[in-house]
Amino acid sequence: MAENDVAIAENDTENVDILRVYEIGYHISPSTKEEDIEKTVSAIRSEIEKQGGSFIAEGAPSMARLAYSIESREGTKRVENDRSYFGWLKFEAKIDAAKALEESLKANKSLIRFILFRTVREDTRAKMKAPQLREVKRTDVIKAAPRRAEESSEPVSEVDLDKALQDITAE
Amino acid sequence: MSNNILTQNDIQHVDYKDIDLLKQFINPHGRVMSRKKTNLTAKQQRAVEAAVKRARFMALLPYIQK
Repeated sequence: MAENDVAIAENDTENVDILRVYEIGYHISPSTKEEDIEKTVSAIRSEIEKQGGSFIAEGAPSMARLAYSIESREGTKRVENDRSYFGWLKFEAKIDAAKALEESLKANKSLIRFILFRTVREDTRAKMKAPQLREVKRTDVIKAAPRRAEESSEPVSEVDLDKALQDITAE
Repeated sequence: MSNNILTQNDIQHVDYKDIDLLKQFINPHGRVMSRKKTNLTAKQQRAVEAAVKRARFMALLPYIQK
């Protein structure tokens, strides 16, 4: 987390009152129950509000597979987590508020890892163009129509035909 | 006109959560590709680098892949 400390500290010289946009990304322990996740998130939110921050955007935590296992402590035991609930929050706050928030997140036991860094107000998620589908010449085209025609042109017995005709004329 | 993924798709910001985008800038071992391969501008390359490092820390991307 040294990177974050530096990122915050480098703007520390002046303009302490200027609001800056920050983003938090966090991993909630996979052992937390579904209903407790919301509690953890609201705890982070209330902490931001307490520091006088205002929210810009949010990504609800969802179960994600991790690229490598993260070690965490549960009581006295060490646990290797290969998955977790990953969520994020974007907010605006003062430098001191961000610092205080970082400390409070460090103390939060239900978070196995978090990141806090400065970002921009705009939506940073990339909107990729829909991948163009390659045109593939299909060789296994299903020809439905001719087969149906074949079915209808099946030989019908004379008796059946006569019967059908009689049924129609009788009406 | 530079011909790279970011310019082509008109991407101004590189987010560490966009794993599928970032994966296009790392090689099979998980290392960040050079500017020769990515064709990014210096500014874009720095942004990608920062995003990849954040994604690695948050275990969204691997540090190494065998």
